[in-house]
Amino acid sequence: MRSLVCLLLAWFSFLARAEVAPQYGGDLNIGTVYVTLSPLSWDPADWTWKSNHDTGSVREQLFAGDLDKSVRKGGDYPFIADAYLPSGAIRGELAERWHWQDDLTLVIELRRDARFTERPGVMAARPLEAADVVFSYNLIDQSPKRIATYFDHIRRVYARDRHTVVFEFSEYNAEWMYRFGYGYYSGISPRELGNLDRKDWRNVSGTGPFTLEKYVQANAHIYRRNDDYWGTEAIAGKEYPIPFVDRVIYRIIKDEATFLTALRTGQLDILEAMRWIAVDHLKKTTPELQWNRWLGTSGTFMSLRVDQKPFDDIRVRRALNLAVNQQEIVDLFYGGHAELMAYPQHPGFGEYYQPLAEMPAEVQELFTYDPVKARQLLDEAGVPEGFSFDVQVCSCSPSNMDLIPLLESYLQKVGVQIRIQPMEYASFLSAMTTKTHGPGYLLNSGHVNPITTLRKSFVTGQTWNPSQYSSEYFDEQIRQVHLMRDEAERIKTLRRLTREIMIEAPYIWLPVGYVHSAWWPWVKNYGGELRAGAVRPGPIYSRIWIDRQLKAEMGFD
Amino acid sequence: MQTFIIRRLLAVIPTLLFTSVIVFASIRLIPGDVIDLMLAQNDISTGNDRALIEASLGLDKPIYVQYFVWITDILQGDLGRSLWQNTPVTEQLAATLPITFELGLLALMVALSVAIPIGIYSAMRQDTAGDYIARSFSLLMLAIPSFWLGTLVMVFPSVWWRWAPPLQYTPFLEDPLGNLGHLLVPAILLGLSLSAVTMRMTRTMMLEVLRQDYIRTARAKGLAENMVVLRHALRNCLIPVVTLIGLQAPLLIGGAVILEQIFVVPGMGLLLLEAVFQRDYPVVTGVFLVVGVAILTINLVVDLTYGFLDPKVRHR
Amino acid sequence: MSEIVLKAPGQRSAILTFHERMLREKPLGAIGGVLFAVFLFCGIFANVLAPYGLNETDMLRRLQAPSLAHWFGTDHLGRDVLSRILYGAQLSVIVGFLAAGLATAISIVLGIVTGYFGGTVDMVIQRFVDAWMTFPDLVLMIVVVSIVGPGVPQIVIILGCLYGIAGSRIIRGSVIGIREQMYTHAAQSIGASTLHILAFHILPNVMPVVIVLFTTRVGAVILAEAGLSFLGLGVPPPEPTWGSMLSGSGRTYMYLGPWLALAPGLCLTVVVYAINIYGDALRDLLDPRMRGR
Repeated sequence: MRSLVCLLLAWFSFLARAEVAPQYGGDLNIGTVYVTLSPLSWDPADWTWKSNHDTGSVREQLFAGDLDKSVRKGGDYPFIADAYLPSGAIRGELAERWHWQDDLTLVIELRRDARFTERPGVMAARPLEAADVVFSYNLIDQSPKRIATYFDHIRRVYARDRHTVVFEFSEYNAEWMYRFGYGYYSGISPRELGNLDRKDWRNVSGTGPFTLEKYVQANAHIYRRNDDYWGTEAIAGKEYPIPFVDRVIYRIIKDEATFLTALRTGQLDILEAMRWIAVDHLKKTTPELQWNRWLGTSGTFMSLRVDQKPFDDIRVRRALNLAVNQQEIVDLFYGGHAELMAYPQHPGFGEYYQPLAEMPAEVQELFTYDPVKARQLLDEAGVPEGFSFDVQVCSCSPSNMDLIPLLESYLQKVGVQIRIQPMEYASFLSAMTTKTHGPGYLLNSGHVNPITTLRKSFVTGQTWNPSQYSSEYFDEQIRQVHLMRDEAERIKTLRRLTREIMIEAPYIWLPVGYVHSAWWPWVKNYGGELRAGAVRPGPIYSRIWIDRQLKAEMGFD
Repeated sequence: MQTFIIRRLLAVIPTLLFTSVIVFASIRLIPGDVIDLMLAQNDISTGNDRALIEASLGLDKPIYVQYFVWITDILQGDLGRSLWQNTPVTEQLAATLPITFELGLLALMVALSVAIPIGIYSAMRQDTAGDYIARSFSLLMLAIPSFWLGTLVMVFPSVWWRWAPPLQYTPFLEDPLGNLGHLLVPAILLGLSLSAVTMRMTRTMMLEVLRQDYIRTARAKGLAENMVVLRHALRNCLIPVVTLIGLQAPLLIGGAVILEQIFVVPGMGLLLLEAVFQRDYPVVTGVFLVVGVAILTINLVVDLTYGFLDPKVRHR
Repeated sequence: MSEIVLKAPGQRSAILTFHERMLREKPLGAIGGVLFAVFLFCGIFANVLAPYGLNETDMLRRLQAPSLAHWFGTDHLGRDVLSRILYGAQLSVIVGFLAAGLATAISIVLGIVTGYFGGTVDMVIQRFVDAWMTFPDLVLMIVVVSIVGPGVPQIVIILGCLYGIAGSRIIRGSVIGIREQMYTHAAQSIGASTLHILAFHILPNVMPVVIVLFTTRVGAVILAEAGLSFLGLGVPPPEPTWGSMLSGSGRTYMYLGPWLALAPGLCLTVVVYAINIYGDALRDLLDPRMRGR
């Protein structure tokens, strides 16, 4: 009897291991969400948003997304949002414990087992210290490229001892964990970086699961496993040291047809973002692929310059919203793969997002199609038939380039003629930053998080406020929100502010499209998660393992 | 002969100067300068000290000072550094120039190996069906837009046979087969589209030469047709072909930008394109300069060869 | 045919006889010419021929395969592809002819001035042409379009200048050859003014080169615009150029509607091919000496 039980146990454990035990080794080729973009800068002091995406598997941060709470593992969080982590999905990464000593003093204790890897010409291996965190903070805070008010809430950062960092606040800021914690500008670099050329990719160093082995401009970045990494992953109740794969390779491919082909032929293991158009065909030709569909993390809208006539008249702006058939855009332009209203708040923001059905009538009306009423409003406001204005669009966005002729024909039906001006990326962006852009401006703008989405778009003078919307009341309200410690209060206020700004219609509100991710079945311990920090996929990639047997069985080497 | 060479060499200098000024000025005329681009990276922009950034990039000095600094640096072998990544431009060029050069060389080989035999064949079988077919094929390659052909070659084999050309670049010395595998398909496409012009020229030169008296004499002497062709005709028609290589140089060196984009070849074309879109002035001017020098050198060699071969030119 | 008399009686029939000759001796070229003429006709009369407007969107009719109602099907916004092809032809004709015309004009002026006068003028201008020609075409276009923005007039001017300056070399070579002809010396010894010589002796004899150059330039311009469209710098929407139809919606929707790419792709290829074949035949017939170019 006992031998039978032993046999059965052995058999079951064999099965369990055979099914679940991760394999080490192999390369992970990824077409990331930003597959067409090259890195702009490796230097934290440059304050480039993409830095975290490129260095986030090398440099770690104080906080990161808690991937154990992902949907795939039975939790609630998809980890898709660009730069937002709900409070229930955050864990300490380099921060082991933290507490508020008093209202304005935050004490963070760092984990003791985090180590910087050896990097020839940069540094010898050594443990992480509080002085490194202080260095990293000061590096970006004192940079000439810093965003002016970003760290105004922090008065001083210092190391209390080897493993404790103290943040002295001058005032509370609800975004503190995002701004220096899991946000865009929160990577922890070693102090040695102070004496080196920070822009050189060879000097990128950190405590993370990978090191930056090679960078081939416009082609690939290659990250190699850090064998001494402190992290582990629990799979089927057992802890495994991570990362599993030998190398992670970000492939940079500018052409859509090419990266779809690369996925189809197995040259990419994961393609994180593709438009709906190719999906059906890909599902037919490559049925083995696994899929995830997620709502885009940028809003699309046509901004109208409220500082120019006739767009200063709210009737004109609302009329233009009525003239555009957003539902038809969802059904036919996006093939159903879009949400009618998902901007400025994103459904992924949980309570912060108020669905269209629960919105007041004045908001709902903007998403209906009523060209007759639109023309009526325009007449009331004194806009003549045949009124025309310039609309600028970036030639870098194929989707927007496709959308704009459709918008033109909608507006034409109510007697408004737009003149389309495509511009390439730099000129397009610069028109906005220098405020020389046209009355119409078709833009994609990232949601980021529930507060920032309103702040960056509608507070006076912000770069990403193309409509030039300016209201003292609104500015003050936003300022107040930052000071609220109570999340419930923030939620209530932001919902109200969102309703109010939507009614004002400084933009023609447009649907937000769904994006598809696809990956081959040999990519394991992965469910399409995208970010565990602001545009930071590092922790996700370090938990993926490749079933090389399966890959070989499927005919790929 | 010597005066010709010297005059030709001296002529390069003003050309280079013209080139450098045009390049230097043009990239700065593009709206949306690099500071705006840097500022737009962030969520907020209020109060960024523009002057500080400009100073740190060396862009605050008057433009003629910048030009002067740039020229003196070049003469010392320093092409400046990328405004975004601070990598020396020479390093970026050292990484991309061999790739573009290799692609160009392969394409040239394809072009010549397709064009010359077809050109000769067409000339010898003038106005027959074979001639028409050969010429038509060549012209067809010219008429189809490269991005379209590239897309077809990229997409359809992947749908039908699950095959695509490899997209990862490895240096030749590290992995010759992998390197060639990656560059082969774009080189073939580039070469085919170039072959049309070369083929046409080969054909017309062959036709002219075949009519010459000395060819008739050779035939009368009883030499085999092939010998006639090879020994006499071929030698004479190579002159304009050599000239043609010079004319094609910009295309080969400066970038088959479109094919580089589709086949993920990290060459100079793509480097240049990205630098233009990012307003990375030092990279753009550095690349233009190197391209200019390379092409001028090729043209110089071509002209000198031409002058050497064709006595009429020497004495102008 | 080494001399062309400017004002011959019955000039029209000279062109007709010329083309008859082409039909006999170079049938392929004649076919090219016919296709070229069809293209021109469609381009000029697009407004009349097109069954629908160029931006008549109707989302409910999107991505329909070719049918009786829509011979070339509809695109992703429900627009009739045939109509857009015809309007695209019109745009190609306009851009092609204007740019080729500008290029040819520039080539003539530069080529004649440098070829006839020689000396310092020649040397200086040739150095400038050298400098110009060291720039890779496409990149130069990218830079300039980035400065001035995309649009039909801008593209015409850029392509015109680009091809004009490069083409001046060819005309210059021809002019040098002509200059050495006896009759020029004769005219000079009579005491004719330089302008007279240029206009009545040089120019007419350069005409064969010019005609061929112009013809092939039209094809080159159409292709160049397609390349610019691929990079997002071509003629802005909703204007349909074959290049933008092919590189934009053609490539994006090729899985859902292959006709979106086939139609402009075939038209582009056939027209450019026809123009080149026709140009070749012209060259062969007009000036055998030109073969060396």
